[in-house]
Amino acid sequence: MFRQRGGGPAQPPPKPLDPRYKWPEKPTLLGTSVKRLDGPDKVTGRARYTYDINRPGMIYGRIVRSPVPHAKITSIDLSAVQKAPGVKAVLAWKEAGAELFYQGDPVAAVAADTEERARDAARLVRVRYETLPHVATEAQAMAADAPQWSTAQANTRAGTRQETGDLETGFKQAAHIVEQTYSTHVIGHVCLETHGTVCEWEGDKLTAWVSTQGCHQAAQGFAQALGIPQTDVRVITQYMGGGFGSKFAPDAQGIICAKLAKLANAPVKLMLDRREEHLDTGNRPSAFAHIKAGVSADGMLTAFDATSWGTGGAGQGANFPLPYLYQFPNRRRAHTDVYINAGTQRAMRAPGHPQGCFLTEILMDELADRVKMDPVEFRIKNAPKLAPNAMWIEYFQRGAKQFGWDKRHPTGDPTPGPIKTGMGVSAHLWGGGGRGSQSHVDIMSDGSVVVKCGTQDIGTGTRTIVAMVAAESLGLPISAIKPEIGDTQYPFSGGSGGSTTAASVSPAIRVTTMKALDALYAKVAPVLGTDAQNLVAEGGRIHVKGDTSKGLAWKDACKHLGTEPISVDGAWTDGLSSSGTSGVQFSEVTVDIETGIVKVKRILAMQDCGLIVDKLTAESQVYGGVIAALNFALFEDRLLDRVTGQMVNPNMEFYLLAGMSDIPKIEIVLNNMPERGVVGIGEPPTVSTASAIANAVRNATGVTIRSLPLHPHKVLAALEQERAGGT
Amino acid sequence: MKAFAYVNATSEREAVAALKFDGIALPLAGGQDLLARMKDYIDSPDRVVNVKNALDATVTATPDGGLKIGGAMKVVDLAEHAQVAKLYPAVAAAAIEIGTPQIRNQATVGGNINQRPRCWYYRNEEFVCYKKGGSRCFAVNGENQYHAIFGNDGPSHIVHPSSLAVPFLAYGAKFRVLGPNGEREIAAAEYFTMPTLQNVMKENVLADEELLTHVILPAPGNVKSGHYEVRYKASHDWPLVFATIVLALGGTSGNTIRSARVVLGAVAPVPWRSKAAEDALAGKPLNEQTAALAGEAAVKEAKPMSGNAYKIQITRTAVKRAIMNAAGIKTA
Repeated sequence: MFRQRGGGPAQPPPKPLDPRYKWPEKPTLLGTSVKRLDGPDKVTGRARYTYDINRPGMIYGRIVRSPVPHAKITSIDLSAVQKAPGVKAVLAWKEAGAELFYQGDPVAAVAADTEERARDAARLVRVRYETLPHVATEAQAMAADAPQWSTAQANTRAGTRQETGDLETGFKQAAHIVEQTYSTHVIGHVCLETHGTVCEWEGDKLTAWVSTQGCHQAAQGFAQALGIPQTDVRVITQYMGGGFGSKFAPDAQGIICAKLAKLANAPVKLMLDRREEHLDTGNRPSAFAHIKAGVSADGMLTAFDATSWGTGGAGQGANFPLPYLYQFPNRRRAHTDVYINAGTQRAMRAPGHPQGCFLTEILMDELADRVKMDPVEFRIKNAPKLAPNAMWIEYFQRGAKQFGWDKRHPTGDPTPGPIKTGMGVSAHLWGGGGRGSQSHVDIMSDGSVVVKCGTQDIGTGTRTIVAMVAAESLGLPISAIKPEIGDTQYPFSGGSGGSTTAASVSPAIRVTTMKALDALYAKVAPVLGTDAQNLVAEGGRIHVKGDTSKGLAWKDACKHLGTEPISVDGAWTDGLSSSGTSGVQFSEVTVDIETGIVKVKRILAMQDCGLIVDKLTAESQVYGGVIAALNFALFEDRLLDRVTGQMVNPNMEFYLLAGMSDIPKIEIVLNNMPERGVVGIGEPPTVSTASAIANAVRNATGVTIRSLPLHPHKVLAALEQERAGGT
Repeated sequence: MKAFAYVNATSEREAVAALKFDGIALPLAGGQDLLARMKDYIDSPDRVVNVKNALDATVTATPDGGLKIGGAMKVVDLAEHAQVAKLYPAVAAAAIEIGTPQIRNQATVGGNINQRPRCWYYRNEEFVCYKKGGSRCFAVNGENQYHAIFGNDGPSHIVHPSSLAVPFLAYGAKFRVLGPNGEREIAAAEYFTMPTLQNVMKENVLADEELLTHVILPAPGNVKSGHYEVRYKASHDWPLVFATIVLALGGTSGNTIRSARVVLGAVAPVPWRSKAAEDALAGKPLNEQTAALAGEAAVKEAKPMSGNAYKIQITRTAVKRAIMNAAGIKTA
């Protein structure tokens, strides 16, 4: 998930690509805008998400969770709940003596014949707790006399230590130094479809419908946790309502669901509610850094010295890249992970990057102001050089022109009246790239085609691109392809994380369909009196290259298969995908300086993405990423009561998310680079938006807010307390 | 959710009779508050009395030139009512800002006035606060950015959640209340109660077996009114602060403020009448400068908590802009 450029283990040199599999030079479908094949099913409700799965005799599971942030279980009494109406199974997930580390830590579970009865019954489980002292914030955990988050482990752990170049020299070269503390906060994934599972046993075999980003990974997780062979587990995920990195494993609720189903000898549905979703399904860790940075009189970055910390909750780290993207020749960074008694972090859409980006990009604008330099010009000066996966300099230039950056005023809008307007810019990078997907293609004698791949569509349009790639390869309309995904009965494909799905799945489908086509050519060539290598498939026909009249319609060609369909396996191969993306975003905001309310007026997102498969769903990735990041910038905030350590906003009422009217005009420029092959972009567009918004707020108001979210209380406090040096 | 008996009342009398019950009986209208409280185990009534079909849901003219609004009227109907918008524009303005179209389609006028606090401590079962029979207000040492900046003597520091109560109070409304012993009329200004240790589990004078059946608005007279709401999100969000201003005008130019009503929302445990702002407005010309002075006067007595001093500035702005709004001066 978390790969930086140049990171990771050394890869063997790629095998040269078989020229048959090369992406077509003049594609008819790839790069066009194709509507999601399952769009109508989704909007009409025909699409069945895990929540919609109902099995004969199915009952409902419910988890009992710790109400307090830190405790030891003294005893668990299940006697009352066993007699409650409709209860079919009860289990203790933890034993007496076990330590609980956060509000929402699972303790026990029940299954009952209705969801309502399961909820009521769960309240009858009598758990006695010995409450232990807790820490609810990073500051509390780092205080000298802090209580310990765990009886076994300290509140902090030294993390990354990096040093490059010579700091002393770097600071000597600096004409200006900025020294400040920057921070981002904890937010949740807030999947629209909550985490959950339906489990059904047939003897020793388990079928699990799981809201997951990785069918095969989830199957592995069930097998390991339940001690059964993975071959006895089938996971199905036909439709999925968002994961953002939080849905790879079965999790406690999945294993509990399977166990309750075994105990009750009945299928069990266990979907979390919104509150549980907030408390126990992961989050983006916080990030803090005290940074001292230097810039030379001519605007070159010279030195960067940072002490950073952050919390991933109970026992989880909170690392992030720092400094981000820009080149500080002399730099040092020391990181500390801080543990608090709160739900634990999970990978969240570009893990670490939005945090590192914010911490660095706000600093960049402060440094630019010190040397009286335009933020775009300053960034161009200090960005890595142009490369296919590093297009920042070009995007800064093109984007500034398209956005009307020349109309940006220096820091602090001089316009009279309470509404101040400002522009900001920020840049990002990501890895992406493909790996190890497999697929299977059947071509039947009636001409029908099915493409099977054990990937899953997490809402990004994977089902549609599977069909597009197959249709492109076979010269057929998309409607002639039946894409089958979201089931471990189909060939292995990896989890949908790290922006790798499109770049893993598309090459696999390309290779497999081209292999299948070769098999079909072999059958058809004798009929057409030619050799297989002289044939092409296009426009629904198979014909001799350069002579469309000498050929057969697809269906007629397939008739020559007789009783034996073409059935071919294939796999991802090098040369059809690559990794490494860059992007730049511009933002324009208004700030009401009498209320502190920030409104985002427009965003321009410049994004490279290799070979675009479906332009429409690629653009949707950017829309979604930008909107999610706007929420990070302005609205979302996991708020723990500082005294009790309990979350005050585990809902969608006080955990704010943008509505339609909070979402600005979003312009997208996708840089199609077919020569690079497919590169996923699920994550990068969500990295730099928040920083671009915060820099625009700074440009509008003339004051710097060094922490997210940009809540009115911070805007008003900053306006009162401090004026930034303007250019 | 605890199992409950359901009574579908078809008249005011029947509803009131059903509420008089040996156990906990609660009225259900639009359900935008009660159902959420029940699902979250904040309230577990033994009996739920549906009053949607029992209460008036219409607007009727009163002999003195005012309007009488039925308690079961949907917020959407109130927002779209031509006479309401004409006579009491701040009521219509407040109504259209409530929640979302879905919420306004369900929520009722009576329900909006009588909804329980939206305080996040009250709404989460774990926090056994004064409002739930406990012995502390968690907001005092906790997360109080949305809590009160006026009337902060405790024991509770909620802000009153009703958007409609504020303009109703500003226009001098009365509430008609029906109980087992007959009906009574209570001035909106007397209806809401500041918390004391004795009454902290309620926000108004309504008895358990009483129903608010009507809001009676007097003829507005020669007034100009303004309403301004500050929310973080553009919609579907509770206001940070809002204000309704009703100005009686006179003088030779007709632009002198004879008297004013300034009522603030989301700043105190009750809809908060700012006498200081009213005094600052009396006798002044209606213009932007006066508006700013009134905004300043309105916040003079604010006593913020540890994390909500920013609401003072927002209150200043809301008052100023509501007055400018009344004067027809463009605001942000």
